[in-house]
Amino acid sequence: MGLDRRGFVKIVMGGVAGTLFTPVIWQGLDDTSIWSQNWGWIPRLNKGEVKATSALSKLCPAGCAVKVKTVGGLPFAVVGNKDNTMSKGGVCPVCAGGAQLMYSPARVKSPMKKVGEGKYEAIKWEDAEALLLEKLTPLKGQEGKIAAISGDETGTANEVLSALLAGLGSSAFYVMPGEMFTAGKGVKLMGGSGQPGFDIEGADLVLMVGADALDSWGTTVANQKAFAAARPTGKEAAAQYVYAGPILNNTASVCDKFVPVPPTATAAFCLALANALINAGAVSSASDFAEYKALAAKFTAEEFEKTTGLKPEVLADLVARFKAAKAPLVIAGASFGQGAGALDFVAAASLNVLLGRVGQKGGMTLLPAAPKAIATATDRENAKDAASFLASVATGKATPGALLIYEANPAFALPQPAEMAKAMGNIAFKVSFSTYMDETAALADLILPAPHPYERYDDAMNPYGVAKPTYLAGKPVVAKPVMDCKDPMDVLLAAAGKLGLSLGAETYADAVKAKAKAVGADFDALAAGGAWTGEPKSGSLNLGAAALAKAPSAKLDDKTVAFAPVTKLAYGTANLATPPANTLVVRDTELLGKDLFVQMNAATAKKLGVANGAKVKLTAGSGEVKALVHVNEGVAAGTAAMLLGFGHSAWDEYTKGKGDNIYKILTVSDEAGTGLKVWAGSTVTVAKI
Amino acid sequence: MSHGAQKEFKVTWGMVIDLDKCTGCGACMTACQVENNIAPMLDASNKMRTLSWMLVFEMSNKKAAPEAEIAYLPRPCMQCGNPACVPVCPVVATEKNEEGGIVSQIYPRCIGCRYCMAACPYHARYFNWEDPIFPKGMEKALSPNTSARPRGVVEKCNFCHTRLMKAKDKARQEGGNPEALADGAYMPACSEVCPTGAITFGDLKNPEHKVYELAKSEHAFRLLEKLGLAPQVYYMSKREWVRKLGDNYAAAGKAGAEKKHS
Amino acid sequence: MDRALFPDGVERCSFGKFSVWMMFIMAFFLFGLFAMLLIFAKGIVVTGLDNYFGFGLWITFDLAVIALGAGAFFTGFLKYILKIDQLKNIINLTVIVGFICYSGAMLVLTMDIGQPIRAWFGYWHPNVHSMLTEVIFCITCYCLVLVIEFVPLVLEQKQLNKIPFLHHLAHNMHVNMALFAGIGAFLSTFHQGSLGGMYGVLIGRPYAFRDGFFIWPWTFFLFVLSAVGCGPIFTVLVCTFMEKLTGRKLVDFKTKALMGKIAGTMLTVYIFFKLLDTWAWANNYLPSVGMTFDQMFYGIIYGKWLMFTEIILCGLAPAIMLITPSIRNNPTLLYTAGILDCIGVTLNRYLFTVQAIAIPVLPFDNWQFYAPNWAEWATSGMIVAYGFLVMSLSYRYLPVFPQERSLNK
Repeated sequence: MGLDRRGFVKIVMGGVAGTLFTPVIWQGLDDTSIWSQNWGWIPRLNKGEVKATSALSKLCPAGCAVKVKTVGGLPFAVVGNKDNTMSKGGVCPVCAGGAQLMYSPARVKSPMKKVGEGKYEAIKWEDAEALLLEKLTPLKGQEGKIAAISGDETGTANEVLSALLAGLGSSAFYVMPGEMFTAGKGVKLMGGSGQPGFDIEGADLVLMVGADALDSWGTTVANQKAFAAARPTGKEAAAQYVYAGPILNNTASVCDKFVPVPPTATAAFCLALANALINAGAVSSASDFAEYKALAAKFTAEEFEKTTGLKPEVLADLVARFKAAKAPLVIAGASFGQGAGALDFVAAASLNVLLGRVGQKGGMTLLPAAPKAIATATDRENAKDAASFLASVATGKATPGALLIYEANPAFALPQPAEMAKAMGNIAFKVSFSTYMDETAALADLILPAPHPYERYDDAMNPYGVAKPTYLAGKPVVAKPVMDCKDPMDVLLAAAGKLGLSLGAETYADAVKAKAKAVGADFDALAAGGAWTGEPKSGSLNLGAAALAKAPSAKLDDKTVAFAPVTKLAYGTANLATPPANTLVVRDTELLGKDLFVQMNAATAKKLGVANGAKVKLTAGSGEVKALVHVNEGVAAGTAAMLLGFGHSAWDEYTKGKGDNIYKILTVSDEAGTGLKVWAGSTVTVAKI
Repeated sequence: MSHGAQKEFKVTWGMVIDLDKCTGCGACMTACQVENNIAPMLDASNKMRTLSWMLVFEMSNKKAAPEAEIAYLPRPCMQCGNPACVPVCPVVATEKNEEGGIVSQIYPRCIGCRYCMAACPYHARYFNWEDPIFPKGMEKALSPNTSARPRGVVEKCNFCHTRLMKAKDKARQEGGNPEALADGAYMPACSEVCPTGAITFGDLKNPEHKVYELAKSEHAFRLLEKLGLAPQVYYMSKREWVRKLGDNYAAAGKAGAEKKHS
Repeated sequence: MDRALFPDGVERCSFGKFSVWMMFIMAFFLFGLFAMLLIFAKGIVVTGLDNYFGFGLWITFDLAVIALGAGAFFTGFLKYILKIDQLKNIINLTVIVGFICYSGAMLVLTMDIGQPIRAWFGYWHPNVHSMLTEVIFCITCYCLVLVIEFVPLVLEQKQLNKIPFLHHLAHNMHVNMALFAGIGAFLSTFHQGSLGGMYGVLIGRPYAFRDGFFIWPWTFFLFVLSAVGCGPIFTVLVCTFMEKLTGRKLVDFKTKALMGKIAGTMLTVYIFFKLLDTWAWANNYLPSVGMTFDQMFYGIIYGKWLMFTEIILCGLAPAIMLITPSIRNNPTLLYTAGILDCIGVTLNRYLFTVQAIAIPVLPFDNWQFYAPNWAEWATSGMIVAYGFLVMSLSYRYLPVFPQERSLNK
């Protein structure tokens, strides 16, 4: 068959025309573009009415007053509540991801009973509660046989727990370590009583000694709002902020001045500053001023330089700022929210006394003890600390038969966690009331899942740091919790009833409402997002000179370095591992893959013979932690700093096995003269691997 | 040679971020992730593969202790007035043609060639290397404001555009003017959540919005001003070392190469 | 065993030997195929690309093979339009090389884009401002042109050619070949240029950005020139490699030297403009955005030695060698110059793809490092293997080399 040019052209044109006119191609293309947008495994969005419901978000220690946004009843986001006088519309980074946490893969799905080493079996609530009753009943009426540890600082749950224990004949109620606890002790050493508060809003110079007030200390969001109000964008600042601590942290990054103070020298720094202020004319009417002055005189500028490595000009600069300020405020705290002895608190707080700032606007205040909802509950100022308790369990001094752990993680978040876990092993029956499968739940004999904050009633009385008595309360946002959980207090109140006790409330909701009534607040207004505030009490403090005289003086040494644990609220808390929506915030100079970094400045690195990126191990006592070195010029002299809250062995795949738990190398010692367990002045040895 | 011509809009959404107030807390990053349905990441420390529409950078004055200073810089998409990314997309999956000047990203159209990512010097664009994996059940906590993206498409901050549409609807229902929204009627998630109020958001052309004056402040600057991308995100700092880190000054350049404000 | 399929009057190795050779190549191909299927199943997450390096080995590979495959259009232009008849000895080879390069690049691109099913969107939603839209149009059309140029060669296979319809179809296509060559030259000029234009328009990347003429940055012209400056000699290198492997002469040296002269002339023009461009960029453009020449380099992997190697050792040197008859006419030197030339152009594509986006433009950002991982190497290797397969089959069964019979008497 011949094919001439005409035939050829005809074939080609025919082919092209045919291709264009058949629907196959066009339909096929259309279909492929639809398929590529609608694969079945891509999640679809939820539909429905969007509402914003007020809630008390107790994912952070202070609690944020928020509005939870729901679509068709499902929570999906958290925004601030502008009308709340405490939060003022702010939301902390942890609460910002609060809705997603309701579905955290670490959540305990139902009551679990331990059936073997690391093995659990899901059981029904009736069986779980029966087991609880079975274990508690024989221990009734024996002092110290039933113990409880609470990780909640502010809720009426503590009243329920301590009253339950009291009714069962036990006074073994303990709280996890925190600022509130040590500050209360510190105030006692200064001849006063009550929880201290700090009026950041009213101050025109805020010196934070250790206290990471703009990120993880106290009522962080309220502090940030006060900071923001004092420094409006584009205008003149109305207040100065200075941070003195071991590392240039988030707070220090926005301060007018950062003073790098090694964690072993906090008290020395305060006393050196006191000395400089006294030399510049500061006088106090406190009863122990003469003693204080004599003590401070030992902390000369030269001594100051020896202890901290800082030049005397730094002190002079601070004195000048104080002189120019009309309403200065010194906030005392450990740089990582716990473990500082009361003496560090006293040293910093004494500056407020020296400058006459106690009970003044923009100064330090004292809060009266809050009225109780349950009369037999332990007063907050009489709380005992869980670290000492577990230490005595370890030595056999205390022999509880049952331990109730409420929203706390002592197997992870206490110094020397391995020993704490071992101590807990000595206790026959442990119940963990926990929302998440944390390290403590992983050791418990019975895990009773607690609801997420947006699934329950709860409240917060005087979160640590508030200048005035403050009370917040909230009710659930959703009708039914995501998991098969029950409010721990509901469970305990029911058990109390069965054990023959009457605590005045059948459910936690009742207890919270009773608290509101006792305080004089309108529960419904609070649940709608309001806050109740009262007035601080009057009262004076002395300078704590007697206690301070026993403060150890630290010097920088060649072999060891001072160890500064660091907290960043976004990375989690003592009760909460880094939430899945926050893991992204962790910097790759803090955590890379599975390696946690230890921060130190170039001079310290040189002294230790390590370079940037080197693998090292840090040891203290019997504990050891592995890390990579990151040279960070924001770290104080002779100090190594590392983040708390990593190295989890439970929780979920977002956090398990990432980094190491630096609680292992926090060594606990007894504070001179106060008997408190302290670990903020730990030192470590650093060696290359 | 003509570059992309800069389109002018009557309304120009922008930000002024006060770097003297950003503590690096990360609430903006979390709120952004939540609002835009970005799945949690198993290895969030590998910043080369994470999706961070809003990303907080850490800047340092590179001095030795104790003169060391740091600042935190939140970086959303700059929504450039003269974007590098819009002209290069082969399928018009990104455009800047809606009143307000927000640079859009159309997920169903993006073919995932990543040319726009190569173009953006701010690294504001991210690629879905794999399909999003939400922990079981967490799909119930998805925000209704942003569709979930499959793998193989590029995504970026769009100033929470759904909130703009909702604010306009609300204005229409209440008899207001959707083209002249009140200051604060429309705020992206990051600006709304920032606890120190470091992120101010609004219409740069509207004298009644705070950003109007703030953008003109002597302390305001934009990143990489000299490249001529005309970002709509301004930064402010009273610290000169922070402002100087906003652009390259290594070479003096020819006349006319000085920093330009809009 | 397959003797009947050989072209007329030539010898080929035994079928067994050929099979062993093909199995060997297949191994690489299959390994790459496995990687490719993994990529389609799991996504680009399995490669070494990341947020800073959206472009990596694949794009470098694509741009390099497209430049190296420029021999097809340029030789076609010279032979069919400028009527340089001697090139008929090697033109078929250039078409096959071109076909392999472009079809291979297209295959890589299906993996490189995140949503391959949407690849056709470049036609449905074209962006008149985007160089990449232009590239999509042109490389798909040009690949079609190459297929059209390759088909007659296949139809001239001894047995197929016996079928009258196919014989006439091939004949008619040959008659119209000038038209296709013209279209091919037009399309190629534009996409070779637009590939360069893609980098030159990046105002956010000081390393790559250039001023230019009208809408075309200088890199547009530089990329066309460098492509035609290496394409022809790459074909010569392929030919010589085949000769070494098969032990048969395929193209006479005179033709090879002519291709070298063509490449060398274009390379010289290219290097001249490249040097001017680099100087202007370093002295005028970089300071205007506050950056210095030194800031464009970092460490060893992004060191200045790469640019020096690209422009001088693998640019200026081969250009001089190829335009100097006494050097060019020495086979060893011709091939050396060719190798240096091709390396130089590949380096140029690599630097514009990878180094350009490694440089931190934000002053507080850092240099990042990129290394392709096994999946990227395997798939690139798959394309090379694919090329070997196509070329092996073509050599064995198609009348590619008009001079083969006379050179191997």
